[in-house]
Amino acid sequence: MPAKRIIPCLDVKAGRVVKGVQFKDLRDLGHPVELARRYDAEGADELVFLDIAASLENRGTREAWVRDVAHELSIPFTVGGGVSRVEDARSLLRAGADKVAVNTAAALRPALVSELADAFGRQCVVAAVDVKRDPDLGWRVFLKGGTEPTPRAALDWLCELNELGAGEILLTSMDRDGTGDGFDLQLLEQASRLPIPLIASGGAGLEIHFLEALEHGADAVLAATLFHEGTLPIPRLKAYLAQNDLSVRI
Amino acid sequence: MSDASAITLIDYDAGNLASLEGALDRLGLPYLRAATPDQAALEGPIVLPGVGHFEAAQRSLRERGWWRVLPSLVAEGRPLLGICLGLQLLAEGSEEAPRASGLGLLPGIVRRLGPGVKVPHMGWSQVQQRRAHPGLPDPNGGWLYFVHSYALAPTVETIFVAEHGRPFAAVEARGNVMGFQPHPEKSGRAGLLLLQSSLAWMGVSAPQPEVPCN
Repeated sequence: MPAKRIIPCLDVKAGRVVKGVQFKDLRDLGHPVELARRYDAEGADELVFLDIAASLENRGTREAWVRDVAHELSIPFTVGGGVSRVEDARSLLRAGADKVAVNTAAALRPALVSELADAFGRQCVVAAVDVKRDPDLGWRVFLKGGTEPTPRAALDWLCELNELGAGEILLTSMDRDGTGDGFDLQLLEQASRLPIPLIASGGAGLEIHFLEALEHGADAVLAATLFHEGTLPIPRLKAYLAQNDLSVRI
Repeated sequence: MSDASAITLIDYDAGNLASLEGALDRLGLPYLRAATPDQAALEGPIVLPGVGHFEAAQRSLRERGWWRVLPSLVAEGRPLLGICLGLQLLAEGSEEAPRASGLGLLPGIVRRLGPGVKVPHMGWSQVQQRRAHPGLPDPNGGWLYFVHSYALAPTVETIFVAEHGRPFAAVEARGNVMGFQPHPEKSGRAGLLLLQSSLAWMGVSAPQPEVPCN
């Protein structure tokens, strides 16, 4: 079994890493390359960059910073945001990204996932899924940054993504996101029955939350604020996981 | 250092050269991209990177004239380093493309990983030394990054082994030919060290900072 992975997630807007609550009150954290270097040195296993305001106009800016990050980083990285055609993914992969993440565009046109897997191999395709629990209907898929509900059942969609050719699932619990109360372990347990790797996202607040998520079937855990603020340094988190007998890269 | 002894990176649309070039820049090593053999440096190691499908990569290498030339360059003593699919292309063949043959510069047929494990094998795995090599330090259980669905079975000649369901060859070497199954350019410090030591053994190391003379 490969090591369990710790993945910082960076939101990018117009070529800068930003932090905000629900995409509001954005604060500038620096250039993607600066943060990439810092997390590489701290021992992150992989990075995810989400372009939160991806548009046709900023495509050139994005390719430029992706190329710079690829040149500086000695670990793999994923780029997502506004990828809706094979050509979008090709330009990101050419610029040096290892994987591309798709979310809303895949839900609106599922064939996109197969097209990407056929063109680049499924190891390049990360399917990001935002879910929220409905008291009556269970976990439902939300689109457009979690703002648009759909009637789609989350677990059905995950199975479909696997069949379409997704290489990995990045699963965010919107109920937990930003709470610091821990990951949705029930959700992870269900989702980890899929034969592809599962990245858990949403709810990390304490070291033990990461341990729980990894023990409940996640192959990797993703967090943003905890790492950006320095509340939980990655070396400390990894030492804690190793003490608890998880296989991590130290 | 002149281009005569730079590292030649084979550019054939089947590899992520951006990351590899970044790693070489960080190590301070001279390199150039060569789409065809006439663009190669006159001496120094040749690196064959690669991601994607075995047969597509083989076709692309044929079209650009590399497939025919690589064995003779190796016979002349040029060091050759294959990375990931690059290693697999150096072998005799692959289950991924039963009709296509490999370069046959490393023995063995590349076989699919599994069953019983997630394929592709994607992520960080530990690497152990099976046989000492003069150019490579003992990884001693160090972690390297892998993305692959096929691998060579280890033999008594294998240098480093890793495991995914079963043991497989992580580093193979025969004379001046070497192959890495992991991506050293994606493997943090351990990967940079592996790249640096293998390329130094192949004759390319960073120029020492100049000592001012009195």
